[in-house]
Amino acid sequence: MTGFSKRIFRLLAGAVLLVSMSAQQASASIHEGGDAASGEKLFKANCASCHKITEEVLAAPGLKGIDQRWAGKDALLVKWIQGPQAAAATGDPYVKGLVDKYVSQFGWMAAQAVNEAEIKDIMAYVKSGGSQGGAGDAAAANALNEKCPKIEDKIIEEFSDENDSSSLIWMIIVGVILAIIGASAANIAKSLKQAVHERDGLAPVEDKTYWQSAKAWMWKHRGYVGVAGVILVMYLVVIGYGKLNRIGVNQGYMPDQPIWFSHNIHACQNEIDCQYCHSSAAKSKHAGIPSVNVCMNCHKGIKKGTISGEKEIAKIYAAIGFDPATGQYKENYQQQPIQWNKVHNLPDHVNFNHSLHVTGAKLDCKQCHGPVQTYSVGRLAPIEEINAQEDVTGLIKLSKPTLTMGWCIECHNKAQIDLASSDYYVEMHKRFESSAVGKRTLKDIMEDGEVTVKEMGGWECGKCHY
Amino acid sequence: MNRPLIKITGVLSLVLAITSCRVDPNSAGYEYMPDMYRSPALEAYVDYGSNKHMDWTLSQKADAGVTMKLSRKPAPGTVPFMETEMKRAEKLTTAGAGFMIYPYTLKNTPEDYERAAIEVKSPLLSNQTNIEKGAALYQKMCAHCHGKEGKGDGAISASGKIVAPDYPGKLKDLSEGKMYHSITYGKGLMGSHASQLTKLERWQVIEYVKCLQKGVSAPTFDKNGMVVLAAATEAPAEETTAKP
Repeated sequence: MTGFSKRIFRLLAGAVLLVSMSAQQASASIHEGGDAASGEKLFKANCASCHKITEEVLAAPGLKGIDQRWAGKDALLVKWIQGPQAAAATGDPYVKGLVDKYVSQFGWMAAQAVNEAEIKDIMAYVKSGGSQGGAGDAAAANALNEKCPKIEDKIIEEFSDENDSSSLIWMIIVGVILAIIGASAANIAKSLKQAVHERDGLAPVEDKTYWQSAKAWMWKHRGYVGVAGVILVMYLVVIGYGKLNRIGVNQGYMPDQPIWFSHNIHACQNEIDCQYCHSSAAKSKHAGIPSVNVCMNCHKGIKKGTISGEKEIAKIYAAIGFDPATGQYKENYQQQPIQWNKVHNLPDHVNFNHSLHVTGAKLDCKQCHGPVQTYSVGRLAPIEEINAQEDVTGLIKLSKPTLTMGWCIECHNKAQIDLASSDYYVEMHKRFESSAVGKRTLKDIMEDGEVTVKEMGGWECGKCHY
Repeated sequence: MNRPLIKITGVLSLVLAITSCRVDPNSAGYEYMPDMYRSPALEAYVDYGSNKHMDWTLSQKADAGVTMKLSRKPAPGTVPFMETEMKRAEKLTTAGAGFMIYPYTLKNTPEDYERAAIEVKSPLLSNQTNIEKGAALYQKMCAHCHGKEGKGDGAISASGKIVAPDYPGKLKDLSEGKMYHSITYGKGLMGSHASQLTKLERWQVIEYVKCLQKGVSAPTFDKNGMVVLAAATEAPAEETTAKP
């Protein structure tokens, strides 16, 4: 009711405005004199799903320059907006051109419930070109950054244009050159000494090998060498112990990826659920890396990234064959796979099933994957970060490193099963009740009042290794 | 003698300490018996040797025998095998679970979009199971654009990057057939979600969206488990008062 009366009011206001306008100006165009502020609201509510006010083609042509394209056809434009099919029926050549060009691509525009005065406001907004990224945008960006703190951010490093992957090679080259120079200098010194000895008629220089002279030097400075040796041995023991403990432990692994995808922006700032992209986690063994068409569900419209601009998103377009300028897929395009690097590697001979844990056990993704929304590219979350999470209900805190067998079985020992969650347990309960042995087993399991995964066979070798 | 010793100890310890702190996120760490990790058995998404090949071009990879094909669309015409799922879904439907595997015959054209409004009807009951499943799927698959309660105010829409229409307002009268057509093929800026949602799941989402269209984000159910929409009970009441 209120909406209707508001519309009546707006209509009246528009009519009054029109009358007053036409009193001043004999031929008032629909492209002049509208209220851009109210037009912005109307545009966002009615048009922004498909149109932009720039030249950019979104799911419909951009509206910039609409006043020139529709010049002198105000009534037709209103008719077109309120009902495109009716406007097309008039047979106007420009409208026919629009229909031929765009309807096959994007379909018919839906008839919009806006009146002439409202269209006038919208046109004023289109003409104004919108706000050009003022203080409001910066404040919004700050608010987003505050909402979504980052723990691990590889992206910043990538875009600082520093590439230190070759530093080791350079160090080796410099080392070799220095060694050659040192060796030749030692040879020259030796020859000179020899020459001096020959001139002065002294005994010839003792022909010591490098090793012998090094030994002599070390004996002379045995204090220093001894201390250095002790430190070196201690270092090797400590580091070696640490490294041995990390065999098969991949915690903190965050490999470079072909696209600098940010989980922080997608999962935290834009609040996209994990399973929107990794949709097979609920259905199959693998959580799955989304195919490019899933990226395109948003990036058909979002062509510029927050951090990397157009550079990284262009890689998606190159993979699937999409032309961002026209908003169309290229025909007969040889699509290219994006070769992501797998982060979570389990050893062979162990079977892990995502759907069993996501759909069956109803675990939160963060229970195993940690605060992924604070990372950029995929990373194997260390156990400390997983335990530190506060936003996960019923988080089971574990002590062993992530993705090791100790970690798996520690959780299987702690995690409790909701017996009502599955028909399987209901059925098993019935069968246990039906025999004396079953009743005894049931009593053993239920003794402490809780049923863990271990008690359901979660520690049997064959549960995971088969 | 003592002072230089302290110095050399300090310098050496410092150098070793600094070098030992370096952590390379590109390294997965050490492996004992790598054949356990990189077995001949093919595993999904494993590019044996990972980063080494990263900067290679596709032809280089082909030459080296690295022929992994990742992140592609499902093969066209793929029919899912879902016998168990179909048996389970029988209870939820009005006319059998065959729709879960039968192909959707309408094409992705403006004409077929209009046809969908008339020809395509939901095969599901508007009951609690379907709507609750649909609501959960809606929060995963739709809420970031269309909003948690369908008001077009999801995080992406709020930022203005993509502006999704709202269900109680702009899409109030959208028919279920058009919804199904849109989820299957995409509409406007929205892409096809057919690879993420099965046919059953698409209809379950639509059952929930039908509640959102009435402005009900937490629907209630009667004793048979069928949805009770406040707007649906109001409508006949208005009719009866209008008639005399």
